[in-house]
Amino acid sequence: MNEPDSTTWRRTSPFAILFFIGRILRLIAKNAWQSLAPLFALLVAYQGDLVSKLALGGIAFAIVITSASLLSYWFFRYRISADSILIRQGVFKKKQLDIKFDRIQGINTQQNIVYRALGLVTVNFDTAGSAGNEGNLPAVTRAFADSLRTRIGSALPDEEEDKPEAETQTASLLRLDWRDMVRIGLADRRALIVFALIGPLIEQLDENIEEFVADFVKAAAANGIHFDTASGVSIGITIVLALALAFILVSIAAAFLRYHNLELVLDGRTLRSHGGLLTRHEHSMDLGKIQTLRLQQSIVQRWLKRYRMSARQAISGRKGRRGKVFTIPVVTAEIADELRSRFLHPEAGRLTQDPYSSRFIAISPYFMRSQILFAGLVPALLAIVALWQTLGFTAFAFLLWPPMVAAVAYRNWKRAGFMHDNHEIVRRSGFVGYRTVALLFRKVQRITVTQSRYQRRKGLASLRLYMASGSVRIPYVDHEFAKRLRDFVLYRVESSQLAWH
Amino acid sequence: MFENPEIAIDQIPHTEDLAWQKLHPMFARRVRLQALIALGVVTIAIAALHFVPNLPVVLILLLYLLLVIVGAAILIWPGVSVPRRGYALRDKDILFRKGVIWQSVTAIPFNRIQHVETSSTPLDRHFGLATLQLFTAGGSSGDLKIDGLGKDSAENLRVFILGRTETSIERA
Repeated sequence: MNEPDSTTWRRTSPFAILFFIGRILRLIAKNAWQSLAPLFALLVAYQGDLVSKLALGGIAFAIVITSASLLSYWFFRYRISADSILIRQGVFKKKQLDIKFDRIQGINTQQNIVYRALGLVTVNFDTAGSAGNEGNLPAVTRAFADSLRTRIGSALPDEEEDKPEAETQTASLLRLDWRDMVRIGLADRRALIVFALIGPLIEQLDENIEEFVADFVKAAAANGIHFDTASGVSIGITIVLALALAFILVSIAAAFLRYHNLELVLDGRTLRSHGGLLTRHEHSMDLGKIQTLRLQQSIVQRWLKRYRMSARQAISGRKGRRGKVFTIPVVTAEIADELRSRFLHPEAGRLTQDPYSSRFIAISPYFMRSQILFAGLVPALLAIVALWQTLGFTAFAFLLWPPMVAAVAYRNWKRAGFMHDNHEIVRRSGFVGYRTVALLFRKVQRITVTQSRYQRRKGLASLRLYMASGSVRIPYVDHEFAKRLRDFVLYRVESSQLAWH
Repeated sequence: MFENPEIAIDQIPHTEDLAWQKLHPMFARRVRLQALIALGVVTIAIAALHFVPNLPVVLILLLYLLLVIVGAAILIWPGVSVPRRGYALRDKDILFRKGVIWQSVTAIPFNRIQHVETSSTPLDRHFGLATLQLFTAGGSSGDLKIDGLGKDSAENLRVFILGRTETSIERA
């Protein structure tokens, strides 16, 4: 196909239409009601029976989408210059995108099942400061994507003369098998969210279900079978369990779709992952661009003795956009520590992010006091005073609130902690599960030491380290220590000449 | 070759004996004037309530009382909070402190500053003040805003800091 050195404007393969159809459908799904409103209006206005209305609607929908994708494809052109890639797109509103190679943080590719058969990929440029999904190059050959990758990789200034033999080799770090897919599916938080969403729905359907069950029981009674309350409850439990099982199966299937055969490869200083059953996802991230490393364990993962590991990159300039995250969905603590020592090599990585490590230093127990006071005692007393008139002695039930808050605060305190050496710090936190975050001192952007009145009396302070990917707070440590650590981090930042991004 | 020997945490020079620079003396007055303007608008809004029929007078009087209390508080507060604010400039970083109940000191190394901005509202210009904003990476949470600097010192700071943000960078 096209040579990367071409200087003329080019179109991608016509199969890019598939990509544009997908993009339009996603757009419609996002703004479903607004987008479909004209179609509904058309359906209502047209006289006729429902089947022909739906058929007409379907045809109109397909025509609109296909022609929109055709136009999008027709107006999509790209050009590769010496130091950047230019993309022109837009049917009515023209847009020109100029992505400089040195702004590109990573190149991701995606391959759906059709593209896989044709050897095509969709390239996604991950840039600092880009907004949304614009930096895409749909339906180009894999060879072209690879040549882009090497081109952009070589556009970056590097200092590989120092240690060429260690830097250029490719090493496979991790491969997930089917058991890991089951683990990912079981630990999927989205299953819980689905439950939260269908909860109200079930409530709405409640009356209908009740009627249905009543009819069913009546019919059964007429046939000589007797149902008591217990069996009614057991029917309910069976339904809930069946639903839960269905969701677990769906999320396991989703894990297979997304992560099947996921392999993690370290290629020089670039971390790559590829996997997926139908659509193959490929992600890459430069190790030097990692801002924070996270290891998380939910309650289900705790039972499975597994963690979720993620590496965060800098947040782009736009408000509300989250930074790019490179995720390893399931690892053990040992592998996570092995990976992190590779990621942070050679300067750091000697600490551990295993939350059960005994090396974590506890924060001051005074941490619990303000939580109990301001989230527990004060609201409870206010509620009692405010509702005394209406509730009478029942208002004292609010006194149960502070002990609950105290229990939460205690648990938060027990799980909080940190450890550091001369290059990095690891913070631990959590309530139900655990979360540890690690960062390199030299990548810190700014630091704040804060003291409340109470902390001043106790000689304590809270330290907040602002990274390009968000901030990490270390609450309730000794004030002198906080200041010393701040000055040390400043020294590290100011004496480092390595790029933080 | 760049050298960077190991230094233990307790060998680092302390930031204790810093000469904190105060903000411009007119700043507290500017904050008060701004508050007064806002209070004026609210007073007019409450006064307009007199023309609403069937509104109990007690309610309007209560609003006035609230206005007096809030007004007194926001006119007194700058006298307490402004002297607590200040900045300290060092060779390689700038520190900014603020807060009365929650006191904080923020430090930004110059080699992490992405760009510097000075701005002034019409009210600022009346008092000869300006605001200096230092932007670091990390979205909107990553910037430091120093209100109430003298116009000249804000400009001097801007030039000084910009001169120090240029650093040679090696790729990690």
